[in-house]
Amino acid sequence: MPGPDTGRSNGVVTATPDDCLARNDWICGAYLSSRGQILLDAVLQHLRLTGLAVLIGLALALPLAVVARRWRWASGPVLAVTTILYTIPSLAMFSLLLPLYGLSASLVVAGLVLYSLTLLVRNILAGLRAVPEETRQAARGLGYGPVRLLLTVELPLALPAAMAGLRIATVSAVSLVTVGAIVGFGGLGNLIYAGMNTYFKAQVLTASVLCVVIAVVADLLLLGVQRLLTPWTRAARG
Amino acid sequence: MRRRLPAPVAAVVALLLFAGCSGGPSLENRGEVTAPPGDSHHLVVGSAGFTESDLLAQMYAQLLDHAGYKTSLLTVANRELYEPALESGQIDVVPEYAATFADWLNAKANGPDAPPVGSPDLAATMTALRRLAAPRGLTVLPPGRAVDQNAFAVSASYAREHHLRTLSDLGRSGLKVRLAAGDECVQRPYCEPGLKKTYGIDITAVDPKGVGTTPAKKAVQSGQDQMVLTTTTDATLSQFGLVILADDKHLQNADYVVPVVNRSRAGGPGPTAALDRLNKVLTTADLASLGEQVDSWRRLAQDVARAYLKEKKLIG
Repeated sequence: MPGPDTGRSNGVVTATPDDCLARNDWICGAYLSSRGQILLDAVLQHLRLTGLAVLIGLALALPLAVVARRWRWASGPVLAVTTILYTIPSLAMFSLLLPLYGLSASLVVAGLVLYSLTLLVRNILAGLRAVPEETRQAARGLGYGPVRLLLTVELPLALPAAMAGLRIATVSAVSLVTVGAIVGFGGLGNLIYAGMNTYFKAQVLTASVLCVVIAVVADLLLLGVQRLLTPWTRAARG
Repeated sequence: MRRRLPAPVAAVVALLLFAGCSGGPSLENRGEVTAPPGDSHHLVVGSAGFTESDLLAQMYAQLLDHAGYKTSLLTVANRELYEPALESGQIDVVPEYAATFADWLNAKANGPDAPPVGSPDLAATMTALRRLAAPRGLTVLPPGRAVDQNAFAVSASYAREHHLRTLSDLGRSGLKVRLAAGDECVQRPYCEPGLKKTYGIDITAVDPKGVGTTPAKKAVQSGQDQMVLTTTTDATLSQFGLVILADDKHLQNADYVVPVVNRSRAGGPGPTAALDRLNKVLTTADLASLGEQVDSWRRLAQDVARAYLKEKKLIG
């Protein structure tokens, strides 16, 4: 082996410790206790990135869907653009956005927002389109203007479909955040990538399980919100 | 760039190279190149995400903390991502490897076909590196004692069976070799092209499993690949039953560990003095042993770095 300084340093050879970290067990208590703070930080970053992306995505998707609903000519381009965005591979998406955002959390959020648009716009639009024409006419007959019609009749009726889209968008954002690890903002993805490079089983498993837990909990929470917002759907079924 | 590069990241790299027409400082911060060496209070230390880079970044951060700076760490997948950030001042300090970084900057400035500037000669390599780094607003601090060169390892049984001790032996044997390495290996002069030209080794394919990654080493252990590209500071080879074949014709370059800083933010005497204290102490063997604690024992890079700096009385 070429190069200077290749011998053992100071003649000290420390023995390999025998614990579940050194044994590389899949499940390892010492991993949890030594990395508690790191795991917590990663989970919080994961939640922050996902939450921001979905909220901004929703704020953008809602007007886009309303515009696409109101003006027929707009729906083609809106759906086409958001769908094309969805087909861009995530690694490529982040590198395309890199010159705009630099190495930052906003880079990851921006990428996730663009992905969430397809799911959100399509579902909100489907919900709006499913509002029966008779319902709309009845509201107009009662003297509802277009804004009041949208806010009090159309959007509430579109909620079940919109919420379905929101749930899918949220769960997919939870998994896509991990790709942000390439720029150092990937939440639990940072741990998964680092763990895969060194075959660190406990880290890969723990971080992956936490990812799944976040996705399931987020989905259940949104389901609860949907139930609260649309009591009539359950009343009709019961 | 020779280090661990997950295969899918190649796509990013390719795209970045296109986007990399933005090479050099952007218009807004072009002035920084000629700005005086700076001394920002808050410094971001970058890591390229592989163990040794993490360890060095941790040590740099802790030394800078000790010297009174506030630091934070940013881990990025590869050089294509962190080098532009270093130029723009989003990252202020990164651990680099003299020859590899010189060649990378050379390819960026003069195109991929430019004749390499990194060589086994450290002084010549440093001169070339500083000449390439300066116009980008980067300052290369003095190199330390630690060297992390590329090294090629085969399984011990394979070496025994075919009487291999050096890469020349492998070339003479005429064996067909599948090489586990980063996907960039096919074009790096110190990798596939060099093995073929300098040593006459019959490389049939490059298996893009990354540089010295566990999957790469496992592939050689299992016989799926015959040789793996790793580094002189890899302390885990014996666990996989691998031995390094000597680079007897000096294909590998002077890859001394050097801190590279953004000149206008961290080029002042403060950071230089803080980081130089490590240079005088850290050896290749130290780096290998620290790497082993992180890779095999799975200790936290942060804790391993702190324990080392304390042991060497570099921090209190």
